[in-house]
Amino acid sequence: MRPVYSNTHLSNCQILFDSFFRFCYTFFKISFEFGDLMKKLMICIVLIALLLTGCSVSEPEEADLYAMDTLMKIKIWGEHEDLVLVTDEIHRLDLLLSAADSGSLLSQINLSGSAELSGDILTLTQDALSLSEKTGGAFDPTVYPLVRLWGFPDDAYHVPTQEELDETLPLVGTEHIHMDGSSITLDKGTMLDFGAIAKGYAAQQCVNLLEENGVEAALLSLGGNVQTLGTKPDGTAWNIGIADPDNPSQAIAQLSFFGSKALVTSGGYQRFFEFNGVSYHHILDPKTGMPADQTLASVTILCDNGEVADAYSTALFVMGLEEATEFWKTQNDFDAVFIMKDRTIYATEGCAELLSGCEFTVIKR
Amino acid sequence: MKTRYWILIFALIVVICAVLTVCFFSETSASEQAYVYSDGALTMTLDLKENGEYRVRFGEDWNIITVKDGKVAVTSASCPSQDCVKHGFSDRGAPIVCLPNRLTIEFSSDASYDALIG
Repeated sequence: MRPVYSNTHLSNCQILFDSFFRFCYTFFKISFEFGDLMKKLMICIVLIALLLTGCSVSEPEEADLYAMDTLMKIKIWGEHEDLVLVTDEIHRLDLLLSAADSGSLLSQINLSGSAELSGDILTLTQDALSLSEKTGGAFDPTVYPLVRLWGFPDDAYHVPTQEELDETLPLVGTEHIHMDGSSITLDKGTMLDFGAIAKGYAAQQCVNLLEENGVEAALLSLGGNVQTLGTKPDGTAWNIGIADPDNPSQAIAQLSFFGSKALVTSGGYQRFFEFNGVSYHHILDPKTGMPADQTLASVTILCDNGEVADAYSTALFVMGLEEATEFWKTQNDFDAVFIMKDRTIYATEGCAELLSGCEFTVIKR
Repeated sequence: MKTRYWILIFALIVVICAVLTVCFFSETSASEQAYVYSDGALTMTLDLKENGEYRVRFGEDWNIITVKDGKVAVTSASCPSQDCVKHGFSDRGAPIVCLPNRLTIEFSSDASYDALIG
């Protein structure tokens, strides 16, 4: 689908000042005939107007696009070309990384079982392996056979039997991925899936591109992933709402901060189905093959890198609150907000300072 | 003669300030929803398009919240100061607050957050 661009180059304020300048210019020309004093007066007016135009803030370039199975909203305080650059990059990565799309490069690798990797796929595979190791396998790029067994890719939901799980679980695990330099070999039946990091990677790539192009401020909202670049031109903090798991169109809390950050939420409410009165969500525990921790409603990660935030949000949801807290204590590159099913909220120290709009318990090191 | 010009300059500055004020502050618009926080936790989201009356308890204390014609007010409360009731009907801007009963009614606005994750 083509992105919907909205071009808002001039704010009301700027149009107003533009008219004011034209008025001054005409008046200045006429007043020439009325002597020295009038000239001084007009210079004063023009100077005041010049001073005041400094207050006007330009409006962002915006686009909405559907990619990677979600609605993406992009806001850039820059040129229209920067916006096109970002939307093109997202579409390019979407074509490359979808495990469900049979035409994607990734699904071709899964089909053939071995390939020579390069570019984004190589980077993503290496990153995925190291993130999986770091999170003790809670984030696992080989979980796709399980996801398929549950019917999540094509909405053909199915609660697998223990037998089916026992058949599929041996295909899952990074030990089934064999890397030799840039060439990859997958054990039979093992499949690579970047679903848990693709959006984060895409967001990070886009922010990097914008930064290279000298864009000073941008806000990328790719489904459950938000990435900020720089400081808003009006000088205020970025305010990012965390969705209420019971009413996802509303915020349950808000994180306010300055500068470039990545935020990612993983929650069972994002995708689930019900069978015989039991709810099953899409975040699967690679060890059991079952939907992970049923006491957590969502995990939000705040860190500097979109890809890491994306992987951690899934991993920490799989770990559950206690294990995730222990993991956080061993790392220093992220902070997290945990929303439980009973609506209690926990925030790690770094997030606690930025969190508002809710009551929460602070997790300390 | 000179004084007259200075008066003119002053008048111009006043006019520009007035225009700026209108320009910057005219963008706040009516909310369609109001959020009721009791003791810091979001307890209710009110649709201001639907008239209704709600009771929020805080221990032994209580506030009656009324939604009428797109606006919301605390119409009755057990608190001694009755500041919340005095706030009257509103649909935007500053929240309605009842400090003794730890009740806050906040309004949604497009500017409340830049993005929603989840």
